[in-house]
Amino acid sequence: MKSIIAYIRKDEWSPYVAGVLLGVVGVLAVWLSNSLLGASGAFENLAGIIGKQIAPDLFNNMYFNYIMPPEITWSMILLVGVFFGGMLGAATSGTLKWGKKDSANSNTQWKSIFGQQTWKRWAVAFFGAIVLEYAAGIAGGCTSGLAISGGMLLAPAAFLFIAGMFASGILTTMLIYRKRY
Amino acid sequence: MSEFMIALFLGVFFGFALNKAGLTKYHKIVNVFRLTDLTVLKFMMTALIVSMSGLYLLRGLGLVTFPNVPPTYVAANVIGGLIFGIGMAVSGFCPGTCAAGSGEGKLDYLIPGMLGFLVGAVIYGLTYPQVYPAISAIASVGNVVIPDLWKLSPFLAIALFTVLSLFLFYLIDRAGLHRKGRG
Repeated sequence: MKSIIAYIRKDEWSPYVAGVLLGVVGVLAVWLSNSLLGASGAFENLAGIIGKQIAPDLFNNMYFNYIMPPEITWSMILLVGVFFGGMLGAATSGTLKWGKKDSANSNTQWKSIFGQQTWKRWAVAFFGAIVLEYAAGIAGGCTSGLAISGGMLLAPAAFLFIAGMFASGILTTMLIYRKRY
Repeated sequence: MSEFMIALFLGVFFGFALNKAGLTKYHKIVNVFRLTDLTVLKFMMTALIVSMSGLYLLRGLGLVTFPNVPPTYVAANVIGGLIFGIGMAVSGFCPGTCAAGSGEGKLDYLIPGMLGFLVGAVIYGLTYPQVYPAISAIASVGNVVIPDLWKLSPFLAIALFTVLSLFLFYLIDRAGLHRKGRG
């Protein structure tokens, strides 16, 4: 029992152990709710909810009316859970960043490549997130909604997506890291 | 238990797994592309092997029916994946890990990250009619799964996937070690 608690409190688990946990969660999502895990879709429904409050005419299109209607979805609640799951995970290992001095930009590898400035990290995070969300839209899902959820059903879409993601991911890091790659 | 309670409960375990696997860290995501740390790949492949075995087993026992299978539109899946990889390699997160990292209190995930996803969703939704129908029509296969497409037993497909994954880990680990030895 003590060793189990000690393992839970560890900062990093074996990827195989954590992977089994995610796999079980993926199965339970289908079994209990007939739903697939996902993350990018929740932002699209949320964008519709907010957009229709601010600019109802602009957001009165096929996408925000029918494909991702402006309503609270299962995926949105899942994402709220993910938020608290991350919090719980960090709490168990004492690595929560809330209120810490480096909470705005904490990664040492990032700083060694891009420098100390927080605005740089925030700009890249912001534009990177836009690119990710747009790409997930085109692909039909993100790492969880397509790669994991499609892959576990053995949908070819998932493996095509994973192949594309690794090909360009490798090229991009080569360009960013150059000699340090 | 209502549907939303299930979603919240599963989400917590999902975020917990992402945190414990280390995926809420910039360097874990980026280093899989540098082939110096295969955590992300090992985590994903393990999750896939467990979930595909479990799901096809449960379906074989008649305990579950599959939800809508994500559609295979070859061009859309590949182009989307290519753009997604760029976003992941520069930011060091993806939508799921950004949500989990936000919960940990990482403000670069919580503020510019989450805001960026919302802005991206707005741009995507507004340009959807001009973009998506055209791209998804190219090499469109539809909502299929590999066992049906290739007339293959799903359990054989899963066994193949497992063997291929293990072989891939071996190859990449060896290439990575080779490079580290050189540099």
